[in-house]
Amino acid sequence: MTHQLDLILNLARRNFLLQFRGSLLGLLWAILLPIVQLIVFAFLFQRVVPLGINNYPVFVFTALLPWNWFSVSILSAGNLFIVHRDLVRRPNFTPSTLALVSALTNLLTYLAALPIVFVLVAMSGRAITWTVLLLPFIMLIQGTLIVGLSLFIATWNVFYRDVQQITGVAIMLLFYLTPVFYSLERVGREYRIAFTLNPMAVLVQSYRAILYEGTVPDWSELLVASSVAVAALAIGYLSYRREIQEVYDFL
Amino acid sequence: MNLVLEIQGVSKRFRTQRNRPATLKESFIQRLNGRLSRAAGEHWALRDISISLEKGRSLGIIGHNGAGKSTLLRLVCGLGRPTMGTIRYWGQIGSLLELGSGFQPEMTGRENLLTGGILGGLSRREVEAIQDEIIAFAELEEFIDQPVRTYSSGMYLRLAFATITHFNPDFLIIDELLAVGDSRFHQKCLDRLKSFRAAGKSLLIVSHDLDQIRASCDEVVVLEEGRILMRGDPETAIRSYYDVMRHRTEKRRAEIEGAHQPIQGNRYGTQEATVTAFRLFDGEERMTDHIYAGAPLTVELDYLRLNTVVDMACLVTIFNENHTKCFETFIPSVHSASGKLSERGSIRCHLPEVPLVPAQYYIAAGLFPTDWSFAYDHHGQIHMLHVMNENGISANVSGVLMVRPEWTVRPVDPS
Repeated sequence: MTHQLDLILNLARRNFLLQFRGSLLGLLWAILLPIVQLIVFAFLFQRVVPLGINNYPVFVFTALLPWNWFSVSILSAGNLFIVHRDLVRRPNFTPSTLALVSALTNLLTYLAALPIVFVLVAMSGRAITWTVLLLPFIMLIQGTLIVGLSLFIATWNVFYRDVQQITGVAIMLLFYLTPVFYSLERVGREYRIAFTLNPMAVLVQSYRAILYEGTVPDWSELLVASSVAVAALAIGYLSYRREIQEVYDFL
Repeated sequence: MNLVLEIQGVSKRFRTQRNRPATLKESFIQRLNGRLSRAAGEHWALRDISISLEKGRSLGIIGHNGAGKSTLLRLVCGLGRPTMGTIRYWGQIGSLLELGSGFQPEMTGRENLLTGGILGGLSRREVEAIQDEIIAFAELEEFIDQPVRTYSSGMYLRLAFATITHFNPDFLIIDELLAVGDSRFHQKCLDRLKSFRAAGKSLLIVSHDLDQIRASCDEVVVLEEGRILMRGDPETAIRSYYDVMRHRTEKRRAEIEGAHQPIQGNRYGTQEATVTAFRLFDGEERMTDHIYAGAPLTVELDYLRLNTVVDMACLVTIFNENHTKCFETFIPSVHSASGKLSERGSIRCHLPEVPLVPAQYYIAAGLFPTDWSFAYDHHGQIHMLHVMNENGISANVSGVLMVRPEWTVRPVDPS
């Protein structure tokens, strides 16, 4: 068990560092990328189409980072077994580990940029409250969701490369259906249920509650999101378990 | 009885992949067509294989290409599930199946070593404790903190081999005893495997090199068309392997007359006469794979022939890296050169000088029937020869032929 942990941490660290190998700015890219996104969003929705949200940079950034964690992980999930074919084919290696490693690698990117949120919060004159302590809990739910979906996508994409294409479109659409750059308050009551069922919407709202509003997230909605995440993990893991031997033969 | 591996009644069926739909659309279409092509592509790679391996023993597996050796090894490594039967093992497996797989080219040797070690079943600390030993074995002290992509293929393999064999697996799976690095390092690897055996670990070896099998196995299994033909001591097994070979060659010759049969990569032939060993010697009769430009070279190959082969021709060719033939020679008939052929023998070809430009060359060698209508055994460009620059020869040369240039420049009188 400790060995499995050693392995996951080592691979996550390796993959995280690998993204920046050979680049001049190195680790800075982990921070630079979301900042550029932030600047574009701030320009668009404060100047071009003003949404009238207070402290918009903090508002967007609290949601953007977890969204990036989610979307980058899911978009890379399709090729997870294909790219790491040599690891998958190794004796004693459990391929499902790769989903965990991928989620963890992208979490590291998130964590690297998280201090900026605190700086932005401090600059806006708000206080960071004790609710930050709930962050790991929200991250755990999101991690569960990512691992579950990744396993599902990674497994089926080995047989049907269409899965990758569908994922790409789905992530793009989901971005607009998740309140990353807009506020859920602008959404009419009659549509709310759709957002409660979208676990990413709930998670983004929760991060925002904790970091932006300094309040406790909505527990009942979080319960729904956790159920969806656990269901995703169960379905992902079961289809992985069922198909993994075929995956070996197929790769 | 202390088993490390137990294979019981294992069979493996593959579906031929061309019938497998690659996209949802194709899958859908196939379903509409009532999957008529499905049953067509089935192939039993293994049938009812049972093998057990005790602690401290080493088992060799021989058989022709396509006999199921690699499939068996892959199943033992846990890659894929047997269609029938069970495979159980106790302890940690080390696999030399795909040396250096899992290495990340952008990371340094040291980082890859750490990852490799953890993948091999050690904890971070344990790897750190033995990493200096591994680096010393691989002789990579100077380069260990360079990215692996800058390594030569020899360095790469040395690191991979050193990494795997130092992680102390309980048994080691070896496919085609590695040509790692130069002959000196190769010997070092063999010694390493020997000490591995001496430490009471088990080995599972697949090889075409029967001498190797003879030297390192307690027992040998002969596979033929997915079944175990026999299991016994190396000598008996190898003899029965040759029997199979003769039957097969006859069958094959009947099917396709005299055609060159691809055997493996650059090696082809009907194997009625086989090159069992291939060696290069320098002017001092030392075994080597490098000589100085213009120095002598001796090519020696050991053969093993079947009774049906009464005479043969032997061919030796030197190619450069661009696959250009630089030199070729042959004896049209070994029989008329040396009299009646013994069952085993060796053929030497001495070249008093090899005036080739310093570079890397490949030596091809082969045994043919005297009418050259097909090949008994031809080693394509498998064996490497490094021709090195001797002191005193100008480095400003290229091409194929090594001639010592002497330049003179003098002014021309204007008158």
